[in-house]
Amino acid sequence: MHRITVNSAHAESGYTCLAFSRDGSKIYTGGAEGYVRIWKTELGDTQEPDVAAEGEEGITSIATSFECWLSGSLDACVRVYDADKSTMRGLVTRTVAVPVRCVAVDPKGQRVAVASDELEIRIIDLNNTSDIQKLEGHRKGVRKVTWHPSGTILTSSGCDGDIIAWDVPAGGESKRIETVTGFLPIADPESTEHMYDSSCVWHPSGNYFLVATRTHEIVSISRETWQKSLTFSSDVVTGAITALAVSQNGTYLASATAAGIFIWSTMTRKVLFQPHYIRYTPGANFSLASHVAFSPTENLLAWTDADATLTRWSEPIHPSFPDPIKSHLSSTTAPKPMRKNTDILGLDDESVQKAPQEGMDDNYGIDDDDWIIDDIGLLDNPDKEPRMDGIHAKEMVSVTKAQPAFQPASTPMVNKKRYLAYNMIGVIEVTDQDTHNVVNVEFHDRSTRMSSHFQDVNKCDMASLGERGALYACPEEGDHPAQIMYKPYSAWGSSGEWDYSLPPGENVVALAAGGSSPSKTLRTKSPDGDIEGNGNVIVATSPGYIRFFSGGGVQQYIWNLAVDVVSMVAQREWVFIIHRDGGTSLDGCQNLSYSLIAFDTFNILQTGRLPVPRGATLKWIGITEEGAPAIYDSNGLLSILDRFRRPTQARWVPLLETTSLARRQGKDESYWPVGISGALLMCIILKGREEYPGFPRPLIQEIEVQMPIYSLNEPQGRIEERVMREKVYINFLRDGLGGELNEDVPRRELNIDKELIQLIQLTCKNEQLQKALDLVTLLHNISSFDLAMKVAEFYHLAGLKIKIQLMKQDRIQQEGFQDIYGEKELLKELAPVSAPRRPHLHSVKPHLEPFSSSTTVRKSLAPAIPIVPSFTSSDDVDIEHTPTETTDPPVTWDAFPNDTLATAECVEPNKKRKDSDAFENDNQSASKKRILSTTETTSNVTLINPFAKKNHNNPFSRPVPTKSTEATRSNSFFEKIEEPRSKNGARKTKQKTATRQTTLFDLASGSGAEKKSGVTTKIQNNVSGILESPVLPGPNMQPTNVTLPPVIDDQNLNSSIDCPADDDIEWPESPPRISKKLET
Amino acid sequence: MTLPQSLISSMMPEELELIAMEQLIDIVPSFRADKIRLISGTFGPFRPPSKTKVPLWFAVNLKLKKKCRIVPPVWLSIEFLQERLSQETLSEEFTAFPFRFAEISKVLLDVASDDLHNPDRLRSLLKDLREARQAKSREGLRKLNHEMLEIPNLCSMELNEIRPFFARAMDVMIRLQSDALPEHLAKVIEDM
Repeated sequence: MHRITVNSAHAESGYTCLAFSRDGSKIYTGGAEGYVRIWKTELGDTQEPDVAAEGEEGITSIATSFECWLSGSLDACVRVYDADKSTMRGLVTRTVAVPVRCVAVDPKGQRVAVASDELEIRIIDLNNTSDIQKLEGHRKGVRKVTWHPSGTILTSSGCDGDIIAWDVPAGGESKRIETVTGFLPIADPESTEHMYDSSCVWHPSGNYFLVATRTHEIVSISRETWQKSLTFSSDVVTGAITALAVSQNGTYLASATAAGIFIWSTMTRKVLFQPHYIRYTPGANFSLASHVAFSPTENLLAWTDADATLTRWSEPIHPSFPDPIKSHLSSTTAPKPMRKNTDILGLDDESVQKAPQEGMDDNYGIDDDDWIIDDIGLLDNPDKEPRMDGIHAKEMVSVTKAQPAFQPASTPMVNKKRYLAYNMIGVIEVTDQDTHNVVNVEFHDRSTRMSSHFQDVNKCDMASLGERGALYACPEEGDHPAQIMYKPYSAWGSSGEWDYSLPPGENVVALAAGGSSPSKTLRTKSPDGDIEGNGNVIVATSPGYIRFFSGGGVQQYIWNLAVDVVSMVAQREWVFIIHRDGGTSLDGCQNLSYSLIAFDTFNILQTGRLPVPRGATLKWIGITEEGAPAIYDSNGLLSILDRFRRPTQARWVPLLETTSLARRQGKDESYWPVGISGALLMCIILKGREEYPGFPRPLIQEIEVQMPIYSLNEPQGRIEERVMREKVYINFLRDGLGGELNEDVPRRELNIDKELIQLIQLTCKNEQLQKALDLVTLLHNISSFDLAMKVAEFYHLAGLKIKIQLMKQDRIQQEGFQDIYGEKELLKELAPVSAPRRPHLHSVKPHLEPFSSSTTVRKSLAPAIPIVPSFTSSDDVDIEHTPTETTDPPVTWDAFPNDTLATAECVEPNKKRKDSDAFENDNQSASKKRILSTTETTSNVTLINPFAKKNHNNPFSRPVPTKSTEATRSNSFFEKIEEPRSKNGARKTKQKTATRQTTLFDLASGSGAEKKSGVTTKIQNNVSGILESPVLPGPNMQPTNVTLPPVIDDQNLNSSIDCPADDDIEWPESPPRISKKLET
Repeated sequence: MTLPQSLISSMMPEELELIAMEQLIDIVPSFRADKIRLISGTFGPFRPPSKTKVPLWFAVNLKLKKKCRIVPPVWLSIEFLQERLSQETLSEEFTAFPFRFAEISKVLLDVASDDLHNPDRLRSLLKDLREARQAKSREGLRKLNHEMLEIPNLCSMELNEIRPFFARAMDVMIRLQSDALPEHLAKVIEDM
């Protein structure tokens, strides 16, 4: 029977200590007046206890052994008495006139450790009190000593805040194992804090001890690492912890604070019980308990307080809970092994491996300190509690608590107010008015939906704010069944609303309202607006059903998922459901999965595991504007589901690590996500340790997402991150469009190209040529290749330039290929096992062969080392020569009639010359022009392609009136920029003018001639890579096609190339993709 | 306009306010709209609950129609102002502030006080700041000489305040100075 017995134990109020005899039949209390009273446990509050009155000053500590008990006193003496009696045997030891603070007998009852205000701890053999070991190491007086269950480790707590663990083998040499600092407060013997319990209370498993910290928490410190492993804290338990005790089998922990006595479960770290009569309101008069102890043999908790009263609480642990003592211990020893085994089986359920033999050893070895691992693991959800059995079995169990179901972005009721939903559409705020709730629905976009409020008598505790309606659910209460209500926005307060009462016993676990976003405002009634429907409603209920309703209230589908649904959220097209398949796993993973289910077909689009790491919980789920599911976990990591539209291809990518945000440095803030809009995380920033936003509604802040890749501090890393992220988003867009293209995709692709060109420029600058080449493969627009080539040219990387050129040609072909077969990128990526494409191998191979015969590819990529040209320096001659080496045009060119671009470009020089008539006096250095122009020549020649003639039957080509300079522009966007500028004659920047090729006139001028004469020497001095270039393009050329007179080639020589300073690149609108026209 | 003599040489606070109205400010619109093209530029798109930058006059207009929430600038917060106020009182120099902070804060306090956190406190802080700065600018005028007066971080409203006196005083000083100058230099000044 649950009973509390109170005895006034001592005359003088003050520090009162307490100890149970080892058989639990007696309770010893020591008072400030120096007396020890011996209470019989079985007697009530009317007994007259024995008194041991030898103490001259206050008793500070009592320890019990089998045949004796000991008291430590402020009078510097440790006395030993006969067990259960008040007859004193004698003094064990006497300190040097300083108070004894703690005596502790080891589990075997052989040795006693004495802590006093001396700096040393004495370990005294009880059979031979002259055998004293001294442990020195504390810098101040010692407050408490405790023994490890094995009896070989002693922990001591000092006034200096140190906890020292000592290895004290029986009869062996003692040594210090570890000093644990930072937990205990520094307490002067005069301070009140010194009275509070600072002992390291060992869990009977011996694997960790519990200690009350200076921050008023209870922490467990592992014996393996001597580090804090877990924290016991609760909202109700506040204030300094004055006493601490663990039950006999370690299942429960009792702590005393100013707020009362609390019994915790050591596994769930939750407060379980509290004596009813001291469930004090804060500030009530409760004298601080100075010592608390569990009875070793029965379900009894006793404590003494500063008023010197002894309080006994029988049956503190409710009978329905596991016993605090060893539940199977009986007086007879025979059945023990058997029962032990059953225990062990019970343990096995928790995967705590324990050898039977070992358990028995424990049992026989130290009878009273035997312990049993609680077998309530199945009852409560075991929390991660590393446990070790005895000395062997080291399996660590860290099971994460299964997280309860939650509605994303809802908050608990605080000050009678809470948010039921907070998303990118709006907010549902609830105010508790005792008899009813006032529900206030407000939208961010008030032009589309009208805010409203209503009185809710059902006190809904869950809601979801959808595009077209708000869904509410209230729990079952009394005879009122659980209910769901849907209120579409288009018909506030009118017939559009519907509700369902759930059958008894069925409750709503999670709910979501989805639906396409309204195309016009929902504030006014429009006759055709109803056609769009009222969205979709999805409700997960306790039997494991997921019910689908239409916005009008039609029950459309029911899915028996039969597992715990944790959360769900819906948007336009689908609902994103988080469920837990089975229990949590042993390694601490929550085992969460997700499913993405389309509204229209009820198809499961994606399903898989959720990347919630061990020990973390899911904090928020949402769906981005693009439709991608996103999650945010308690580690502050935001992840998004990439390729969610491609069956079986979805995977999670981390989008933002909020813990490493730059803005968070030096601040204590957390982020409460509301939604994701493009590259912005919309969230509410919570200061300090807030977990939820409060009222009034804070402003939504925007944080730019940043994928956690390396070297984000450098510009290269940042650009790489942007490119990577943008590609993910473009894929979303592309997939969503299903093969069609809108304006957005090319625009964003062009933006990526801009970034890439910047990156290419950076890599070229750093001579990371392979990296540059890799980046080139990422380019989207054909015209961006030209820009990349210019960059390469600017850095005098002719070899790189040629490779880009080849890549460009390959890309042109590839696009043609794609379109001929009508392949969408989507299908291509889904092709089961497609070999990685090797661009150059099949299509451009013939070009490469001559390369290797003349110079190696790598060489051209090498840094510029001047070498003497082995061939004649005149470029004209080179060009004349190379054609002779030319083999037949590559076959691949025939295969694809898409050399339009080449065609277009072969006219380009003409146009350029015309355009740039106005800009003759370039002031670039002649030498640079020379060198660059060498390559320019080659590229031009490359483009003069026999197949150019075919352009009239090329489906890709724009209708190109043949020789009109205005119209023959290629689709390259360079021309696009330059054209209007040159027309204006406006000369905006010098670099722009530099891009123009100089004209015939220019050539005729003296400066041109001068430049020409300079060619030979400059080439020799400058770039070795360039020297190869004239030879390279050979195969591409047809001698018959070099229609231009040599003079024109000379002009090309003089043409100067734009230096693409990264901030100076002008970007035109993206060109239409050439290949789209192929369908005709 | 019939204005007192002292005001003719300077602008009125309302005029300054009008100028300040061109400053951009963040708002959270409560309506959805695409980009709009104004003479001063293109603003938007308006996608609640995302922020967007618009000119102050536009924000004020929307606010009066209850179509937006104005996001107060960083400097219009109690912590910031308090810190600046203590700096202001401690140091001789003017602390750096946005050039038109006085106008903007007045407009925001008038129009969007419900979007500000504790507007009364802000108002009193701003007043304290103004007084501290005004005292300094008066003090600074003592250093006026015929060549230059350097007061960094002076804001438009404060500048406007001292302008009439400053301009005339400087004028007088230059004239006095030129009297003392050698004749050929005086002539040069005269010609100027």
